[in-house]
Amino acid sequence: MNYAFILFGIVFIPIAGSLLLPVAGRISSRLRNLLALFFVLCSFAFSLTLIPLILSGGTLTFSKELALGFNFVLVADGLAVFMACVSSFISAIIVLYSFDYISHYENQNEYYFMMVLFLGSMMGLVLSGNLIFLYFFWEMTALASWRLIGFFREKTHVLKADKAFLVTIFGALAMLIGFITIYSQTGSFDLAIIKESLKTIPVTNLAVLLILAGIFSKSATLPFHTWLPDAGVAPSPVTAMLHAAILVKIGTYVFARLFLATFTLDALWHTVIPIIAAASALVAAGAALIEKDLKRIIAYSTISQIGFIFFGLAVGNQAAIAGGLLYILMHGLAKAGLFLCAGIIEQNTGIRDITKMGGLFRTMPVTAVAFLGCAFSVMGIPPFGGFFSKYLVFSGAISNGRIAISLVFLVGAFMTILYLLRLFNLVFMGEPQTSQAKEKSRMMVACVMLLAILSLAGGILVNYPVRFIQTAIQGMVGMVN
Amino acid sequence: MDNVLLLFLIVPLIAGILALLIPKKVRGPVEVIVLSATGLNLLLAAVFFKSNLAYFCPWVPAIGLDFSLRFYHFSAFIILATAAFGFLIALYSTVSLSDKTYAKHFFAYFLITIGLVNGAVLSDNLLLLLFFWEGMLVTLFLMIAVGNKSAFKTAAKALIIVGITDLCLMVGIVLTGHLAGTRTISGINLPLDALGGLAFVFLMIGAISKAGSMPFHSWIPDAALDAPLPFMAFLPGALEKLVGIYLLSRISLDLFQLHPGSWVSTMLMIVGAVTIILAVMMALVQKDYKRLLSYHAISQVGYMVLGIGTAIPIGIIGGLFHMINNAMYKSCLFLTGGAVEKQAGTTDLEKLGGLGLKMPITFACFIVAAVSISGVPPFNGFFSKELIYDSALERNLIFYLVAVIGSFFTAASFLKLGHAAFLGKLRDEHRNVKEAPPLMLVPMIIIALGCIVFGIYNKLPIHALIQPILSPERLEGHQFAGWPANTALVVITIIVLAGAFLNHRFGVKKKGSGLKAVDHIHYAPVLHIIYDKAEKRFFDPYNIGLKIINIISEIAWRCDRAIDWVYDTLVVKVTYACTNQIRKAHTGNYATYLVWSLVGFLLIAVFLLQSGKM
Repeated sequence: MNYAFILFGIVFIPIAGSLLLPVAGRISSRLRNLLALFFVLCSFAFSLTLIPLILSGGTLTFSKELALGFNFVLVADGLAVFMACVSSFISAIIVLYSFDYISHYENQNEYYFMMVLFLGSMMGLVLSGNLIFLYFFWEMTALASWRLIGFFREKTHVLKADKAFLVTIFGALAMLIGFITIYSQTGSFDLAIIKESLKTIPVTNLAVLLILAGIFSKSATLPFHTWLPDAGVAPSPVTAMLHAAILVKIGTYVFARLFLATFTLDALWHTVIPIIAAASALVAAGAALIEKDLKRIIAYSTISQIGFIFFGLAVGNQAAIAGGLLYILMHGLAKAGLFLCAGIIEQNTGIRDITKMGGLFRTMPVTAVAFLGCAFSVMGIPPFGGFFSKYLVFSGAISNGRIAISLVFLVGAFMTILYLLRLFNLVFMGEPQTSQAKEKSRMMVACVMLLAILSLAGGILVNYPVRFIQTAIQGMVGMVN
Repeated sequence: MDNVLLLFLIVPLIAGILALLIPKKVRGPVEVIVLSATGLNLLLAAVFFKSNLAYFCPWVPAIGLDFSLRFYHFSAFIILATAAFGFLIALYSTVSLSDKTYAKHFFAYFLITIGLVNGAVLSDNLLLLLFFWEGMLVTLFLMIAVGNKSAFKTAAKALIIVGITDLCLMVGIVLTGHLAGTRTISGINLPLDALGGLAFVFLMIGAISKAGSMPFHSWIPDAALDAPLPFMAFLPGALEKLVGIYLLSRISLDLFQLHPGSWVSTMLMIVGAVTIILAVMMALVQKDYKRLLSYHAISQVGYMVLGIGTAIPIGIIGGLFHMINNAMYKSCLFLTGGAVEKQAGTTDLEKLGGLGLKMPITFACFIVAAVSISGVPPFNGFFSKELIYDSALERNLIFYLVAVIGSFFTAASFLKLGHAAFLGKLRDEHRNVKEAPPLMLVPMIIIALGCIVFGIYNKLPIHALIQPILSPERLEGHQFAGWPANTALVVITIIVLAGAFLNHRFGVKKKGSGLKAVDHIHYAPVLHIIYDKAEKRFFDPYNIGLKIINIISEIAWRCDRAIDWVYDTLVVKVTYACTNQIRKAHTGNYATYLVWSLVGFLLIAVFLLQSGKM
């Protein structure tokens, strides 16, 4: 098969396909659902076919010359393929879960349209080799997430969706100005050209600051984070998508793409970014211990864990970057599992206040076990996959001499154990407080169990992702140094 | 041949998973699996005991994780001991848990724990050690959680305490690997400089927390009440001491160059001494059989940490000998507690009494184990304690005094426990209590006999098991087996024990009951206030830690809300204020608009002219 076709397929099958879904929905809802899953799986399958090429050390580029440096470039290197695989795979599970979840609600056509478009934009963003197109896809994800967060159309929900949209757009505009500063420095938006011309001169700190504002607002990092817990009003599969597969991972991806693979940062940032990440990890972990809303707690947990990812990426040696990237995978699997569990609980009990829950272990045993498995992975307990990512981040940081800041993150890791156990305790243990709802949908329960099992398998078979990540890092950092 | 090491992992792990998969209603096969797997494990350990084996297979080479196992005299010793306890306790549990619905789950986690312990002990790679070590968290949590209704809370407490210390261990391992430049344990020997000391402290936190030392102990007394009894006999009683002290000795003897007189050594001794005295004081006033024992499970760790912390050969030998002795008498004591619970239906000492005649064999085992833990000659605990006294005295008199006072209270509390449970008046409801079933008695008897053998023939364990752990250069030709070298110390010990006996007589006479034999200490002035607060968990480091974390969280939450206020309120208000001002300017007056346009036009013209000049 033609490689250019594969690249196009990963991005444009879901984007173009999403437009068909509302039409398909008029014919049959079943057809629409299966088509949606098919488009997402296409992205995943096409991404998978690129793995052998990457492992053999190759990269794949497609470029079309356009005026003013607006070249349309798609690049599939290790980092891009890694992200594409992770995102599309987790999205596929979430879409599968949606079949039952969303069948209770109105506007399903819009839901599937937006979900698949969301993934397509993510794929476009990941494969873009040009800052302008990266920005373009970035804003497309913002649009899709805006509709999805306000999906239930209640007034407060729409306001929260607006908040998410405005905060991320504000960041994105700052980032765009940053991109333009880089353009004025290098005369191009093409990452390959930028990389060549910035080899000798360092990138200006102003540009880095502006781009960081964009990254932090999208990845919900202090002080741009509060839209993420508020976005919990969305349907649970959407929150899972935002937290695990797509939205907040965009920031970490762009961080790796620009600050690790393209520019060399000023030494200052290697100190500043870990401090921001640490503050973010601690503040969010603390908030997760106080908060009473099921989905908001898990959302704070994401903010906290994203801090660990940025920490790993910002430390910037081989082990820490590997830890950061592995974190994206492991956290994605586990966090998707936690949100989908929350979806089962929320849909069947109708409440989200954890102080009003209790004793659900008896009626929802499978969900409880899956929840616990995913929680163990987020806590970083072996043999679950989260152990390795946490270990690698610490290992990289400490061998880089960042002992003091590592100890701050250690406190963050303590608190992770605390808030997740508190959550499990209040939801599943203790005396039942409400009517004992059962797990109705087998498909939904199977999805969360699958994610828990994958979190476990990710730990035992950690060799495979690590090998791929190593290749990706060689492609990124090897060329900069 | 070396591949046989994998069996130590495969056998228990596969058996555990099999046990999980067997449907709930079928009982027989689970017991068969447990007994055959633990039996096979014991057989393997015994057959290969004398061999030196190593297994190596890369797992994730990119991050320095190799599947590297090393079976040599020290790890073989620990493996053999855990296998023996595992088998005996499995035998006991098949009866003691026969009426429990959770038995299947308990046995499955029990087997997986054995597999993970074998893995942790055999690991010759720091990261692999961490993998197995932290993996035990999951089974620890699950084994407690299957217990009674309030067990989950205790399980969560255990997971939080041990989880946090395991994270510390992780940092220690990362730091050690970084300093040493290798992750192969047998290739590391670091000086205790500033960073080395930090690494040591983090590793030590992980090790002593597993062993149950203060301040990481407080889940153990809670688990005594909530968790299934065999859990107590197996994990806090035997296994966790073995692996915790194993790691502590590995880091003190091999990984770091621990010298007597270094701050690290003093710190270890302080931790040990504090643990001895505080835990035994708590044990003294307990009114529940199992809870009383659990405080001794903590207190005895203090002796081991103190002994190893002295960093002199006699202390290290004493600490390690005490480790194996403690595992024996402590698990035996817990098993007698389980027998009492099963036969009499309670472990509340207020409701027990006079069971000695009804359960003579259990009582006899209890006596043997109790005199061993109290350090009465010629039982095993006496010999290991004498070695530790000797080393403590050599370092500092204070440590010796604490250790001896600890022994006084240990003896006092066991006199109280034995008196309250087995002597005194038999209660009416216990008229028909019978001796425990044979399968429960056999493990108790075997372990009790072990206490006697390890005491009288202490040459056997010391020569075969303990002394090889220290290199011949460190031993300097000393012999630590046989009768204690320092006769003066033995005399003091005997005086102290006699004092404990007299104290008991005094207490019983005053209050007229075995259970209240130590009330004159419990309700002594000042002391009873402290006791009251301690019983309310005022001093529980876990509660204190949670309070601190709560304060941090509260601050974090305020920060978070403050930031959110900026978005939700401040930005909105400022925007409205600005737009209102601008709106006011839109008066609809044609002349005003015209002026604005002209001013704007002029500004542009000026700007263009300026930049044209530049």
